[in-house]
Amino acid sequence: MIDLGVSIAGIDLENPFVLASGILDENGYTLVEVLRSGASAVVTKSIGLEERKGYIPPVVYELPYGLLNAIGLSNPGIEHYSHEISIAIREKKPIIGSVFGSTPEEFAHLSSRMEDFGVSAVELNLSCPHVKGYGQEVGSDPNLVRDIVRSVKRKVDVPVFAKLSPNVSDIQAIAEAAIDADGFTLINTVKAMKIDIYARQPVLSNVYGGLSGSAIKPVGIRYVYEIASNFDRPIFGVGGITTAEDAVEYIMAGASAVQVGTAVARVGKRVFNKLISEMRDFMEREGFSKIGDMKGVALRR
Amino acid sequence: MVWVPGVGEIPLSLSTIKGRRKSITVKRYGIVSQALLKYKPGDRIFLRGPYGTGFTLTEERNLIIGGGSGMAALRPLINDKSFGMVSAKTGDELLFTHEFKENSIMIMTDDGSSGLKGFPSDYLESVDIDQFARIYACGPELMLKALYHKLKDSRPDAEFSMERIMKCGIGICDSCSIDGRQICVDGPVVRVGEINPDGEFGHQKLDISGRRIEIHL
Repeated sequence: MIDLGVSIAGIDLENPFVLASGILDENGYTLVEVLRSGASAVVTKSIGLEERKGYIPPVVYELPYGLLNAIGLSNPGIEHYSHEISIAIREKKPIIGSVFGSTPEEFAHLSSRMEDFGVSAVELNLSCPHVKGYGQEVGSDPNLVRDIVRSVKRKVDVPVFAKLSPNVSDIQAIAEAAIDADGFTLINTVKAMKIDIYARQPVLSNVYGGLSGSAIKPVGIRYVYEIASNFDRPIFGVGGITTAEDAVEYIMAGASAVQVGTAVARVGKRVFNKLISEMRDFMEREGFSKIGDMKGVALRR
Repeated sequence: MVWVPGVGEIPLSLSTIKGRRKSITVKRYGIVSQALLKYKPGDRIFLRGPYGTGFTLTEERNLIIGGGSGMAALRPLINDKSFGMVSAKTGDELLFTHEFKENSIMIMTDDGSSGLKGFPSDYLESVDIDQFARIYACGPELMLKALYHKLKDSRPDAEFSMERIMKCGIGICDSCSIDGRQICVDGPVVRVGEINPDGEFGHQKLDISGRRIEIHL
């Protein structure tokens, strides 16, 4: 009997495949469809205090090996977003509320409202690479990260995940600062850009964006491995997972579960059912009966 | 998705699909369309796509129901046997009416400044729709909603081209979704039978920030 169930920071998931933040998670009815397509949980779009329109398109650029985006943290503001969660929550699967802010107080308030709306966990966006004053700018300062995580932990009872950026010189220092979190989400997108040589200018209106997809998987694997080797916290692995083999690689590097984003754009929502059946096949072939049996097996202790 | 470097990017449909030369139709609306209207022959146009679904083509007699700039997407469907129900807010905004054969078009405007006064749904009963192989419609969502109730059980297959705010075009940003389906990937053209009248269609949509708003006239 193959059991795909996992538990991460006390949250039980029917399989290890969770929708990553920022993909198809603005509209509650879309979250419902994603959950019905096999995702065991969803992470919401990152939500802030106030309504934000985001950047003027172009906000995405497709590459053969990945996707570049700078949506610009568009969101309706935390109070308006409650309605979307109320729609998605009827599916009775875990919703993880992603929040972004610039101060510990903002993060604590947003997380607390997410908890009021009924989320199973919150994920702190300490890593968006393309909005000034938020995300990575906040997440690169260990002292600020420490204060943010502590403020949130004091305010909410649900598990707290810190989503960290690969765009820092010393991720271990940031992970150490965020150690009060119940878990880590690794990694956010890699800061990158694209120039159209015929237009002779950057394609994204924000110039810089975040690279996701297959191109960043080796980077994600390395960060998960490094953090799993040095910290005793559960990890959501994210970055370039399109097949069950990609997910297994993250799990063997130490992730408890994984998040899927860009593959949803490439394959569609059916990617979740595809991952589930591929994972069953892999485990059967390789003689694993539980996801947990694969966790961290590649780590050199 | 048509990009004007340094200005922005908008979703547009082709108004000519046959042959080597293609065309798009631009209405003065926002900053991007205003910039496009300044283009001169020989200027470079930047685009990505095409994305999403298209109409099921037919050489048979078809009924084309267009509202305002919705006619831009319907133009390639006009053939010798087409019948058009072309509408707009005012007579000045009517598009491609001359491309239908004489006596094969019914014109209507919201203000009655040209043709009949009212909306296509008000006059659908005066047309024998069973004579058509297919029915195509594109226009404001409330026009489509009114048509939905009259066409949902029609014998000819009816297809609607839907419109929502579209940022990415590739099914990730969730701006254009209706009932969990992304209009940029699973649409914009949908069969009438696939529409849920009790869902978001004709009722609610997300604005540019992702805030849920009611759809009003």
